[in-house]
Order: sequence, then C-alpha cells, then structure tokens
Amino acid sequence: MGLISKLLRKNTSPARLAGFALSNFIGLLIVAGAVMFYIDSRAIWDDDDSFVNTDFLVVNKKVTSASTLGDRDATRFSQDEISMLKAQPWVRRIGEFSSSNFRVYASVSQGGRGMETALFFESVPDSFVDIPGGDWQFGPAQDIVPVMIPKDYLALYNFGFAGSAGLPQLSEQLLTGIPLKLYMRSEDGTRSLSMEGRIVGFSNRLNTVLVPDSFMQYANSRLGDGGSEAPSRLIIDVSSPGDVAISDYLSAHGMEVAGDKSGSSAAYLLKVVIGIIVSVGVLITLLSVFVLMLSISLLMEKNISIIHRLLMLGAPLHEVGAPYIRMILLGSGLAWVLSMVALFVLRSVYSVALEGLGISAGGLVWAAATCTLLALTVITVNVMAVRRKVRAAWSMKIDNV
Amino acid sequence: MIRHIEEITLDSLLPRVFAREEMPYSQVWRKKVVFRRGGRYLVEAASGGGKSSLAAFIMGSRRDYEGSLEFDGRDASALSIAEWQDIRRSHIAYLPQELSLFPEISAIDNIRLKAELSGGADMHRIDAWLDRLGLSDRREYPAGRLSIGQQQRVALIRCLCQPFDFVLLDEPVSHLDEANNRIAARIVEEEAERQGAGIITFSVGNPLLIENPEKFNL
Repeated sequence: MGLISKLLRKNTSPARLAGFALSNFIGLLIVAGAVMFYIDSRAIWDDDDSFVNTDFLVVNKKVTSASTLGDRDATRFSQDEISMLKAQPWVRRIGEFSSSNFRVYASVSQGGRGMETALFFESVPDSFVDIPGGDWQFGPAQDIVPVMIPKDYLALYNFGFAGSAGLPQLSEQLLTGIPLKLYMRSEDGTRSLSMEGRIVGFSNRLNTVLVPDSFMQYANSRLGDGGSEAPSRLIIDVSSPGDVAISDYLSAHGMEVAGDKSGSSAAYLLKVVIGIIVSVGVLITLLSVFVLMLSISLLMEKNISIIHRLLMLGAPLHEVGAPYIRMILLGSGLAWVLSMVALFVLRSVYSVALEGLGISAGGLVWAAATCTLLALTVITVNVMAVRRKVRAAWSMKIDNV
Repeated sequence: MIRHIEEITLDSLLPRVFAREEMPYSQVWRKKVVFRRGGRYLVEAASGGGKSSLAAFIMGSRRDYEGSLEFDGRDASALSIAEWQDIRRSHIAYLPQELSLFPEISAIDNIRLKAELSGGADMHRIDAWLDRLGLSDRREYPAGRLSIGQQQRVALIRCLCQPFDFVLLDEPVSHLDEANNRIAARIVEEEAERQGAGIITFSVGNPLLIENPEKFNL
C-alpha cells in the first residue's frame, strides 16, 4: 500500500520525529541509568552484612543508673511498648530477642592450644536471619548448633587480644571451619547439655551471639527455669531506614539503635537521590510522550481531509493508522536502541571506577528491563492515541459532513 | 462479510433537517423506494433537495435521518465500521459530486490507489477507459492540474475500478459535453452489466445518458 502511506505521510516533519526520539532517549537513559546505578551500588551497601537486611534495626532501651542498681525491668520492653511500636507507620514487623536462661561455656581447641570462655546466647525469629543454604536450622536430632557472632568480636580478638597474649590471628574462613565445644548448664547446676557448635556467619548489625530460635526454645525448655522474661532488645523491619521519624520516635521513648547505622543512613540517602533522579527521568519521558502525541496528532490534523477521503474509498482503519504507527515505532525504537547502547557504555565506564567495591551484575539486567518496559509503554500509549484518532475521523465524517 | 447487496430499501426516509419543513412533492422522501441490483435509476432533484444527503446516507457517512435505510433487510444504522468499509470497497461504488481526488498524485495513481484498496485492478480495462474518455495523454499529470472536466472523467474511472453491486453517481457529467456524456454512460452501463450491478445516478438537470432509467423526482 505504497500510495496510501505516501499520501498519509504528507506534511511529516523529520525534525519533530528526531526531537521526540532524542527526548525519549534522554528520558529512558536517565530512568534506566538510575535504576542500574541503584541496584549496582545497593550491592555495595549490602555486601558487608548479607545475613541481616539493611532495613532491620536492633533497638534497645538506654541503660540508666536505675538498671545498674538492680531494676533490670527498666531496660525491658513491655507488651504495651511493643504494640505502640507496631502501630508506627515505618514498622513492617517486629521480632523479639530471646535470651538464654542458662549458663553457656564455649571452648575451642586447636593444635594443642585451648581457649575457653563463658558465653551467652540470644535468638531472634528465624525470618530475620538470612543464611544461605539452609544452615540456620536446628532440630533436636541434630547435635551441631549454628552460631553467628559479631564481626567486632573477631576484630577485638585478632587486633587486641591475640597480639598481646601471643596467640595466632584467626581468619573468618578458619573460624567457620573450627568446631566449638559448647557446655550448657542450668542455673541450679542440676541439668547440663554438651553439644558442638559451628560459626556460620559474622554480623555487623547484630551485636550478639546469635543461635537459631528453634535451638533457643529447645535449650531453654531443657535447661531453663521455666520463667520467661520480657525482651530487652527488639529487631524491627522498617520501611525506610534513616528516616528521621524513626530516630525521633526512638529518642523520645528512651530507646536507641544498636550497631552500625551509617550504612543504612547512606543507603537511605542514596534511595532518596535515586528517587529524585528517576522522577526527573520519568518526567522527561512523559514530556517526550506528549511531544510525540502532539506532533502525530498535528500531522493527522493536517492530513485530515486525506484521511477522510481514504475512509470514503473504504480504506480499512488499521491501514489508515499504519503509517503513523510506523513513525512511532521508528522513533521509539531508535530511542530504545540508543538507550541500551548508552547503558552498556555507562556501565563499562563506572564499573571500572567501582571495581574495588565489588559491584554486582544485576543492575544491567534490571536497567534493560526497565528501559524496555518504559519504551513499550510509550509505544502502547501512542499507538492507542493514533487508533482513537482514526476512529474519531471515521465518526466525525458521519456526524459533520 | 456481505457477499452481495441485492436491494437497497428506503422506507419513510427523511433528512432530519427537513423534518419540520413543509416539503414539496417528492417520490423518494417519506416514501418506500427499492433500488434493485441490476436496475437503472435516475434521481432528479432541484438543488437543495437533499440529493447529496441521500448519497451520504447510502454511503454511511451521515446518519442524521428519520425512517429507515436497509441493505437486504439489514438496518444500515446497525452496521459496524468494518462492514461500512467493506461496503465502500466492494459493494457500492461512489462518485461524489466533489470528486474527492487526491490532487497531489497523478491521475493514474488516483485510479491505482482505489484499485489496490479493492483488491487489484485490470489495467487493460482501465487503459481502455482512459483512451475512450480522451485521457491517455493525461495519465501521469497530477490530478490537481487537470481541468475540472478531465478530473470528473478520472474520478468516474476510479469509481468503476472496484467490485460493486451498485454504482452511485452524484452528478457524474456536470462538466462534460454530450459526446463525453454518451461515452461515460456507455462505459458505466457496460461495467454495471459485466458485474450485474445496479446504477443509481443523481442529476440536477444534466443527467448521465443511460438507457431507460426508472426516474424519481426527489
């Protein structure tokens, strides 16, 4: 149908089409580029503690002189306080720390040297701990207890204690390979339990010696005194770590966040900045969609008498819309191809700069998906506009002529 | 899709603008008229009698009428867009009074475009018509640069180069001399006969000279 499309393409402005392709390209690139950078850099923030999500905060009450003088309940959370926390909009879910109601001694022996220490255990609901490979499990039939210790403990030993005591420094890999002998005894000394433990991870964010919840329940039922105490620490899954509302609420209620907070604040800041950039990109994309819609609309308006005459000759509606849809596909397709190429180039540039930080590979895939999805949306919206306009031209002929 | 339209039935049809006016005598408006495939009809009208309105109703480009218009018993106002486009391409050939040529493309391209839309042209037949109507040397001229009489002949050929059950001609020879009128009438009759189609022609005083048409005063 060369003649029809030749007639319908009359008054086409290549400059306007190029303008659309360019602005659509810029919009797509900004949105997809921001998504790519966010996902790539998120891997950097998450990398230092992949066991515990950055969105989790560990909260405890400030230790005051009252609690030192014996009122231990002062640092415990009552059910009222917990339900008030749950009601906060930034709280997704709350896990309570359970602590051991018995005494724990751990010993390590290697190459003839031994080391023994008194210890304590705590646990949080298993859903808050993400250890790959299903290692974070305990059943009564099992005699190895998985344990997670704070990274700081290891640093304290390696750089403080080991040097001064003439002991060898230990790497994380080495430690996870060494079996721990655990000896647990009830407070009154009548019941005891010997088990083997294994360190499965080191956490920056959980400042405690952590065991699976299932083990804690098992051991407490065998060795504990039967009483259960209110938790003194909570783990909270928050929707936006670093949000000022969180720190305001916590300090107003005499609570504090344990562990390293800089990571989550930086991640929050990054989220905000990326959010702004994505909004700008989306805005530019929207504007480019309107530029295209407007210029195609204008073109069809200029050619409206040609369209009317073709419709009177019986031209099928889809054939009348086809040249305009081809223009949309050309412009959007060009913008899409340019954006994809630019994404590859952009990533190869900054991946060199960030190589030392260990960025992940997922960013490009998500960026490409975002870019494609956005381009398809742009095409769909415009194709629908063309179809609507052709139909309108058909009915207008009916009503006005 | 429709195979053939055998009858176009007008029943108490009246343009809505005429509804409140005192109408002069008419053999079409407010009457029952049946145009049959294979028949020949001449609708004569004074200007302002609603001749072009009737054409627009039959071609589906206007619906502001009272009464009913039916194709083989099917109400025209219930037809879908696709059905109307099919009728225009394959069942009712239409030569509008204003010709509706595309002035920017050549005479032959105007004809070819229509033939392509309706599924292929017999170029031999088209060449013969161009020759008989004295347009052979104007084939490649942009339609807009032809005289109005030449344009009318190009539009007539364009109208005929499609399959049709009826050919609807709105003042087809208003700018032609009698000799060309006779040639045009002969071509229309031959093609209508070949396709077994009906001819409906409108006139305000210079009718297409087809033989023995059934006459109506609009």
